[in-house]
Amino acid sequence: MKSEQESPIVEFKNVGLRYGLGPEVLQDVTFSLAPGSFHFLLGQSGAGKSSLLKLIYLALRPSRGLISLFGNDIATTPRDKLPAVRRRVGVVFQEYRLLNHLSSFDNVALPLRVAGVRKNEIEKYVTELMSWVGLKDHMRARPPTLSGGQQQRVAIARAVISRPRLLLADEPTGNVDDAMAFRLVHLFEELNKLGTTIVIATHNKVLVDRLGHGSLSLANGILTTSAAKAVLTSKEKSEGNEGLKKDGLKKSEIPPFTTRKGDSDKKLEPDSGQPENA
Amino acid sequence: MIWLRSDLPLSKDRINYFLPWLVAFMVFLLVMALAFIFVLNATASKWDRGVRGSLTVQIISTDDKVEDEKRLRNVLTLLATSPEVKRYEVMEDGRLIRLLEPWIGEGISNQELPLPNLVDVELKSSSDFNAQKLLKRLSLKDNGIAVDDHQVWLTHLVRLIETIEVVALLVLILILFATIGTIVFTTRTALAIHRDTIEVLHLIGAQDTYIARQFARRALGLGLSGGIIGISLAIPTLWMLWQLTHSLDEYLLPDISFGLFHWLLLAILPFGVSVISMLTAKITVMRALERTL
Repeated sequence: MKSEQESPIVEFKNVGLRYGLGPEVLQDVTFSLAPGSFHFLLGQSGAGKSSLLKLIYLALRPSRGLISLFGNDIATTPRDKLPAVRRRVGVVFQEYRLLNHLSSFDNVALPLRVAGVRKNEIEKYVTELMSWVGLKDHMRARPPTLSGGQQQRVAIARAVISRPRLLLADEPTGNVDDAMAFRLVHLFEELNKLGTTIVIATHNKVLVDRLGHGSLSLANGILTTSAAKAVLTSKEKSEGNEGLKKDGLKKSEIPPFTTRKGDSDKKLEPDSGQPENA
Repeated sequence: MIWLRSDLPLSKDRINYFLPWLVAFMVFLLVMALAFIFVLNATASKWDRGVRGSLTVQIISTDDKVEDEKRLRNVLTLLATSPEVKRYEVMEDGRLIRLLEPWIGEGISNQELPLPNLVDVELKSSSDFNAQKLLKRLSLKDNGIAVDDHQVWLTHLVRLIETIEVVALLVLILILFATIGTIVFTTRTALAIHRDTIEVLHLIGAQDTYIARQFARRALGLGLSGGIIGISLAIPTLWMLWQLTHSLDEYLLPDISFGLFHWLLLAILPFGVSVISMLTAKITVMRALERTL
């Protein structure tokens, strides 16, 4: 039997999805994503990209077929175990889906709060990450008072704060200029170097061509290309932080959680503690 | 209301302005219903205690006063020698006439109306002696004697009070169910209003209990606010009723002075309602979320 490290992060077998009694929006989708791989999910509007991502982050159940996340068959995983699976997936939603009644700090802190991380640690990690995404001065601001780009950075910070093993981003570069788009993708690449599997749904073909990662293409609900080749070797993965240095990045460009000391994965592991109430 | 951090904007729901008043009204009704039950209970006990162990011996009068006196003496002698009798007292004619005045009018003398001799008898509490046994003993000497132990009318009265108590208890349960129904309805409304936020919380890995706890805390706070308002209105109302009954004839109205136990029960009622609100909200949310992914 394969260990969790070796088994695919995501595995789809003959997955079909239909909304109600309508036609299938995804048909016989079969693919698997290796740990530490980086993929673009391509396709025209209405091709089924968002639906596919929703299936991966468990917002939808397939009409047929088998979905496996981190080695767990989702169909047979008890419902009360699903939050633990979801906590290992970071999602940057297309419309960000920030909670407008909370400050940007509290929005970013949410994944840690639901995982039961202690208050002082939340304070520390969120403050670091907010500084890193350039929103230190906007930590108490509520999302409606932020610009589109700032909201997007809050959404990304929320998705990555708990160091997910899988990061999904639905059109994260859709509302930003090319420079910001490359900066964001650069952030995702840094996370990928740490071992996080990345899937980015995008229209931006220029971005995909320039970065040259593997891609999944959808057309009319059918997966036409499965070039999931961008799997990091174990050597590359172990070189995580070293890789950043080799790239000549300044310290300020390195995501703060990559250098957390004494912050083991176990601490942020799902169900490692009771959610905080205060 | 107590401020607690919440991921859901529940404190901004308009329902928050209306729910405490609704709970206050329910708690007010609950306190009144419970107080009514206490009063009925106390009244039944009071009447029961007042009549239990007491008998009335009636010596039907004849035209011969001397003979009537003799028969009365015989009865009194028998009562005095009966070890089961604790106390006995011949009712004076004046008192009898006063008792009859509401029916026969004022100004009637015992000369105009042949009144029986009545003897009020109190039995020892440990005795199993009853009206039938006393009547049997007295009848050996005189056939014109009747003994009334008040049991018949007492049984009817107690049964009536018990029926009213059951009705009051049903009203109390109905109020409680109405409160629970209101909490279920408002919680479901809040779930619908905050569906998007709840979905986001779910997608980032929140357990159902994490979400349900926030609703439960909100319900506890609102229930407590409403409960305190309700009890604050109910206690002065009870006090006014107590004042009213004390200014009237104590034989006509029941006594509503409660003991410490009763006051304690009434005092914990708002807290009980708050806890029920909290549990109701939690169960409602958990059951609703079970149907989601």
